[in-house]
Amino acid sequence: MVILFRIDDRLIHAQVVVGWGRKLRPDRIILADDQVSAEDWEKELYSSAAEPDFKVTVLTLTDAADQISGGVFDSEKIFLLVRGPAEALEMLEMGLETNEINVGGLHFREGREKIMENVWIDDEETGFLRDIVKKGITLEARALPGDERITINSKVV
Amino acid sequence: MTDKDITGIVVTHGQLGEELLKTVRLIVGEIYDCYALSGSDLGDEKTVESIRGILDANNTKKAVVFVDYFGGSCGASCVRATRGLEGVKVISGVNLPVLLDFVTKQGMMGFDEIVDHLIKRGRESVKIVDF
Repeated sequence: MVILFRIDDRLIHAQVVVGWGRKLRPDRIILADDQVSAEDWEKELYSSAAEPDFKVTVLTLTDAADQISGGVFDSEKIFLLVRGPAEALEMLEMGLETNEINVGGLHFREGREKIMENVWIDDEETGFLRDIVKKGITLEARALPGDERITINSKVV
Repeated sequence: MTDKDITGIVVTHGQLGEELLKTVRLIVGEIYDCYALSGSDLGDEKTVESIRGILDANNTKKAVVFVDYFGGSCGASCVRATRGLEGVKVISGVNLPVLLDFVTKQGMMGFDEIVDHLIKRGRESVKIVDF
């Protein structure tokens, strides 16, 4: 069961492992990312950022969507992490179901505009988030579990 | 038995302690009962006084005093302030992993156990990172 579906361009890092992880205590962190999946050393790097506190599984977007929807992780509490709106939308298009996505961090990059602290998006990403909202999903922006939950649906439609 | 509320005091040269706590807040959110003191700004006498002041205000609790460098003036002030006190430990060589575990793992173990854990965590966090 996915207890947190998060978009964060830093992937697995201290806020995820310590800030969220020690609060919600997932059984496993699933990093769904085609780029990291393609490189053994990157997989090892991100896995070791969270282990031994949490089990980490790095999968391609397709494998993650298939395995989660297929019930492979139904008996576990899962943190699902993707790097951006495009990846989140792709997983939803592949059949992954969720009511809410946590927008945890999209940082400054050329072409992106700031919509709130820690959330910068470009036009294309705004479009992806709009498509996600159209599926009836709540986008809540929050870096840490103790921060105020801010729904950003209205900022992307 | 576990101790959920151990006072933490970070005593360092310069603003290192304040910045360490700021960074801990950035990672975990608000933290409670943790204080930073600049031993080099305050000088020995005021550092000792400040540590004792914090400990006195929290006299029912246990405390860990973290110091950046054993062998420096801050370390000496910490020892002077806490010598002979029950339930107060000084740990030198403080780093970010140690403080993160201090604020997030307090409720999971007893006082002696968390002190041992923090020392182990600090030692293990210094390593060659090679992928």
